[in-house]
Amino acid sequence: MRMRLSLLLFGFLLLASPAFALDGQQILQQVDRNLEPESYESYRKLIDIQPDGTRREYVLWTAKKGRDKVVALFLSPASDKGRVTLRLGDNMWLYMPSVGKPIRITSLQSVTGSVFNNADILRIDYTAEYDVEGAEEQGDRYLLTLKAKTGDVAYDRLKMWVDKRHQLPVTIECYAASGLLLKTLHFKDIKDFGGGIKRPATLETDSPLYKGYKSVMLWSGLKKASFPDEVFTLNYLPRVEELRK
Amino acid sequence: MKRRRGRWSSWPLVLLVVAAGAHADEYSFDVSQFEKKPFELNGYAELKGEDFALNRDAALYKLNYYGQPQRESLTRATETLELAGKLRHDIATFDFRTHSDFQQDQLGSDQNNKFYEAALSLRPRSDLTLEAGKRALSWGKGYAFNPIGFVQRPKDPNDPQLAREGYVMADGDFIWNPGSALQTVALTPVLLPVTSDVNSDFGASGHPNPALKLYALYRDTDIDFAWQGKGSRPARFGMDFARNLKSNFEIHGEWARILQFAKPVTDANGSVTTEVSNATSYLLGLRYLTEGNTTYIAELYHNGTGYSDVEADQFYQLVESAFAQPQPNPLLAKALALGQGSYGRPFAGENYLYFRAQQQDALGIVYFQPAVFAMLNLDDRSFQVTPELQYTGFNNFELRLRLYLLHGASSTDFGEKPNDRKLEFYVRYYF
Repeated sequence: MRMRLSLLLFGFLLLASPAFALDGQQILQQVDRNLEPESYESYRKLIDIQPDGTRREYVLWTAKKGRDKVVALFLSPASDKGRVTLRLGDNMWLYMPSVGKPIRITSLQSVTGSVFNNADILRIDYTAEYDVEGAEEQGDRYLLTLKAKTGDVAYDRLKMWVDKRHQLPVTIECYAASGLLLKTLHFKDIKDFGGGIKRPATLETDSPLYKGYKSVMLWSGLKKASFPDEVFTLNYLPRVEELRK
Repeated sequence: MKRRRGRWSSWPLVLLVVAAGAHADEYSFDVSQFEKKPFELNGYAELKGEDFALNRDAALYKLNYYGQPQRESLTRATETLELAGKLRHDIATFDFRTHSDFQQDQLGSDQNNKFYEAALSLRPRSDLTLEAGKRALSWGKGYAFNPIGFVQRPKDPNDPQLAREGYVMADGDFIWNPGSALQTVALTPVLLPVTSDVNSDFGASGHPNPALKLYALYRDTDIDFAWQGKGSRPARFGMDFARNLKSNFEIHGEWARILQFAKPVTDANGSVTTEVSNATSYLLGLRYLTEGNTTYIAELYHNGTGYSDVEADQFYQLVESAFAQPQPNPLLAKALALGQGSYGRPFAGENYLYFRAQQQDALGIVYFQPAVFAMLNLDDRSFQVTPELQYTGFNNFELRLRLYLLHGASSTDFGEKPNDRKLEFYVRYYF
């Protein structure tokens, strides 16, 4: 009897041990680094597709330094060319050449007026904004449940499904504090960008708040890069374009 | 028959090729077309129509339309072209912004061609920029008003995001990142010389007009200290701040002190005295974004160089007296001169409340933004309310419709404006 009990207990431990061994924080850190180097530059295209199929496209050049400094320069369309958005942690600014000075913006706003908001466009490391509340295995994926560290983060909770083999996100559901599903991000087309960077080149987004609309983000020219701290300041925003090679 | 079958059998292949092509096109991204070029040119062209319902009893109507055919309404068409260009070589960049417009209404036509900006910038290091030329600086955190905008032309609170003409100056930018709580420090020194040919509308000629702005990002708060030395204008100094209390709630403020400011003040008989005193202007504002994507902007503005409702009333009485007599007359000459000066400037009063509400993607239509903004003179309770519809859903096009409604009794700020209604529509194309 004691032998059977011990075997049963051992069996339970065996079943339970992978869950205990799962370190959600470590997985999230790996996801951050697999998505992008800590400091990098890249080009992105944002495509807004309206219910009638008409599209609007934006092209941005982005520079990131450390865990929470990002600057993005709009290269297209002509109506937005020269606009620059800067993020330092929870602080965000928008610089418009015609206005000539940066104004503070919020993470939930959208400078493009699309399903992508400023937090999506100026995304910083997930580990900088979220704590891992739960981690579980679901077949060939991990499911991470993330909770925003502060009330200033755009989404209160994330459910992130991570591909085990590539340690990259496949799907992310973004929730408001009320529990409302705000949007779902679908990562696709894993591509080798060179320099050891292999990550999805396409991100599709849909939102129950924008029924029938779809937004897509494409990456190109993603590579490690280093920038001086001065670049990530308000005074530098009119000159960000000069950083591009 | 065989040929027919062959034609049908190729359909799946054709569909596959078409589908593959469509998919490739759907998400194609050729980054080479966005390479940085040594020379760039872009801008916009705009067609604007305005219909004014004129207020013929108003003091500023009488002054502005003196000697012209008297009308109940006026329809104006304006074509505008703005070009912005950049020329780069090594550490140097030359950039410019031109502004050309042509206006036509029932009373005549007018045109302007100006360089709003044209300056050479040198960047020997990432933390240092030196510039010389015509530059439109934009100091201050206020949305509609900027009390510390010492070296810039005042913005139009009806269109605060419009590009403005700059001044010829030499300026620099020194950026420093000390780290920790003091995240950034930046120093912007300016020299704005005034001669009879250069910057003559800034003030008295023969002065170099030094100015300085010190910016700091300290514990997530933007702080600026600004100073302009005595010269073409009286010396002044001030500060501003902006901070997000929550991610969707921003507050900002400005405060400026002008030393020995000379203000011409008239009585109802046209006797003008110049009052010299220190003037303080300030502004407190907020910007709030709701969960439903409505943005509210509110600003309380005290204009220390403005006219009280009692002082303004004396001026309106002067205009009334001038036009009650046979014209021309000496009173009218004084009234016209004061109307073209400090009494006639927009928002010449002392205390204003600005409020704006705008709804992004209203009625579920992406890029459709209805808004309403209001300007209230807190001293005489006159106001302007402006509903607005804006659509930017067509690539590189912007369409905007506005109706300005002014309300105020006789001898009030908005009651004495030249028009009491204005309908405005423009279509703008960016290239």
